[in-house]
Amino acid sequence: MNNILVRHKWEPYLWILPSILLMAVFVVFPIGIVFKIAFSEVSKSGMVGGFVGLRNFVDAVNEPAFGTVMVNTFLWVVSVVGLSTLLGFIIAMLFNQPFRGRKLARSILVFPWAASLVIQASIWNYIIKFEYGNLNNVLLNLGIIREAINWRASYQIEFIWECGVGIFVTIPFVTFCVLSGLQSIDAAYYEAATVDGAGFWKKLSMITIPLVKPSLTVSTVLNIIYVFNSFPIIYTITKGAPANKTDTLVTYLYMLAFYDNKKGPATALSVIGFAILCVAAGAYMMLTMRKEDEL
Amino acid sequence: MSHSPKNEAAALKNRIGLIVCAAALALTVILLSLPMFELSASVYTKRSPNTFVGDEKYAAALAEAEAVAAGYPGASIEEAVTERVNSKGETTSLVVFSVMQSVRANAWRMLAALSGTGIAFWLALVIMLGCAVLAALLAAAGMRGTMAMEHRSLTPTPRALRTAACWLGLIALLCVPVLGMTFNYNFSRQIKLMTGGFETGNVSGVRLALEGLFFGGGTGDTDALLGALRIHTLWPLWALIPVLFAFLLGLILLRNGELKPALARGALYAAVIVLCVLILYPFYVMLITGFRSNAEATDMHFLHMMPTEWIWSNLPAIIDRGVLRFLGNSILLSAGATLIAMLCGIPAAYAMARMNFKGKKAFLGFVIMSQMFAPVVLLVGISQLMINIHLNDTIWGLMLINAAFNQAFAIWLLRGTFVSISSEMEQAACIDGCNTVSALIRILLPMAAPGIVTTLIFVFINAWNEYTISTVLISTPANKPITVGITQFSSFNMIEWNYLFASALLATIPVVILFMCIEKHLVSGLTSGGVKG
Repeated sequence: MNNILVRHKWEPYLWILPSILLMAVFVVFPIGIVFKIAFSEVSKSGMVGGFVGLRNFVDAVNEPAFGTVMVNTFLWVVSVVGLSTLLGFIIAMLFNQPFRGRKLARSILVFPWAASLVIQASIWNYIIKFEYGNLNNVLLNLGIIREAINWRASYQIEFIWECGVGIFVTIPFVTFCVLSGLQSIDAAYYEAATVDGAGFWKKLSMITIPLVKPSLTVSTVLNIIYVFNSFPIIYTITKGAPANKTDTLVTYLYMLAFYDNKKGPATALSVIGFAILCVAAGAYMMLTMRKEDEL
Repeated sequence: MSHSPKNEAAALKNRIGLIVCAAALALTVILLSLPMFELSASVYTKRSPNTFVGDEKYAAALAEAEAVAAGYPGASIEEAVTERVNSKGETTSLVVFSVMQSVRANAWRMLAALSGTGIAFWLALVIMLGCAVLAALLAAAGMRGTMAMEHRSLTPTPRALRTAACWLGLIALLCVPVLGMTFNYNFSRQIKLMTGGFETGNVSGVRLALEGLFFGGGTGDTDALLGALRIHTLWPLWALIPVLFAFLLGLILLRNGELKPALARGALYAAVIVLCVLILYPFYVMLITGFRSNAEATDMHFLHMMPTEWIWSNLPAIIDRGVLRFLGNSILLSAGATLIAMLCGIPAAYAMARMNFKGKKAFLGFVIMSQMFAPVVLLVGISQLMINIHLNDTIWGLMLINAAFNQAFAIWLLRGTFVSISSEMEQAACIDGCNTVSALIRILLPMAAPGIVTTLIFVFINAWNEYTISTVLISTPANKPITVGITQFSSFNMIEWNYLFASALLATIPVVILFMCIEKHLVSGLTSGGVKG
């Protein structure tokens, strides 16, 4: 038994009270405001009026950019989470091998995770500039290219760059999560498998992946939430330009709310965002709760 | 001596190794004899104004350019036409003919032309060749009389010879990218110095070499040549990499007898090195750009991988623009947010880890759920709330928001730490009459110190790096944290990249160092800490 003696029945509630208060005021209350505005009439000056049902939602969906934004959001989340999970897993396998300088390499891997996203996005924004960007500079210096290449010739290519930056900054988190899972695997499993004549792929699919799965699940679900809500990369590199063609849901709702002053449709989009994330949240809760019960 | 099958197998492997080495060396010599460097320049320019394509002036100018081109072997003529309509509505046209001469040289010719100039390119070429040849000689010496022997039964001398050959082969391989880099970079640097009027000993050597390459010992307009010189490396240089890699593998085969483990090991190191270089690349860009002048940072013809001069005065310049204030705000904001998050989070995590109560699961669910709502989706609600409680545009408001949105992580990590510590000591203390508050403060907190420090730093870094809420809530420049403050260097039509990155550097260094300290603890806390229970 891990519990300690509590004198009064209400004592535990006293312990969690500050935390509940803090979150109630600064997390739950804003959620309430957002929901209220989403279902209310909002005047041009930002005054919140009476209940209008789903009109703000209809307005949000009827915005010309809505379809593009949803497709972009989907592509953004799937490509960033998917590829960073795959690459992070491979890198974790590499880093699980003993080699000289592993500690140093681990410290280097921390960089993209630790540094601020807006700063990293600014750096990449500079690197891929056509006129004076550092990527052209380096490639010209190495003699690999002869003429400067326009790395952001179209918005599609810019969006791919944004996804690339997203993957770049997400990989370390996945790698470290998988690495902690890998390091807890008993080497005896691999020895036994080697005796049985199992090859690399067999060991990977029968031992490594099943045993790393819990860490992989945690990192994937958390990543879905972070990447869905990721704002600075797109906001810094393209600001959604041209004409919202590179916006995702969060950058688009920021533009709607604070540039176009359309608070009604913006909050409606927030609610749509909640709905999408709640699916992920539900899956996450179910997984973690199930593990609680097992242990 | 009888030949057992094993010896024959060893002999075969060694023979293959030797053949690979010899073939790779022969290919190297062939590649070095192909033109792998190209220097091109416009040696003569004829600007002919008020000229239209096909008219008399055009023909005259073309003839003039052709006459000049005839004096340069292999020269070609480039033509550029610019047409404009002037203010009077007349069309004017400018035709420019440039006589382009390009010289392609193989390694031997470059070696002969540049020997003694002392620039790194020449040195790298010599080292590469020397190492490859020496490696082959050492390998051959190591093979004498031991052709059919397993590598385990070798005496120390041939073994040492073969090992030395491997290392030399590796150096030769690494020389190739250095060669490409120094040709483009170091060479062009010397030329820039020359055109800038700095004539040092090396530089005049390079000038002589260029005159030799372009004018074949004759004379020409060297200054015009230098001003327009473009240099390139061609594919045979890059083809040297796989060829020398094959050479190295042959040497490894000779040394170890077994290729596979050596190959796997080499691939592992190569992958890790490439990965680390990729990760550090943007941070390298931040570092060098932060110390460049703005002109250099936005110069499209600027071809140097390091600043020509490290501009340390960028630091005082950004301090003048208020960066210290932003950093101070960030420190205050992050420290305050961390303090509040810990003061609320530690008791909650303690109750979650040590006490049983109705609604515990619901509370945990609430904590996890709150993680789903990133502040960015709630921006409208948060800014409304802040206006209502008059904390809009203040650091205090940011502090509370950051603390609230980091509660989930704080409770999650702290609860994991508390659960992993046995409660026996606290139980004993409770029986002795100690209350829960002193059990927490006197017993649990000291034992949980590593976990608490991890959480503390993690919350601090999150608050430090936060950008979205700050950019919406803060409009007074004096209240901006550093992540928002640096955007003042990027206005719509002009970005002061050097100042932007110099400030970014100051904002990044502390968090990266802090993060390195907690990385190990943090990950185990995130993935498993909360699950035990």
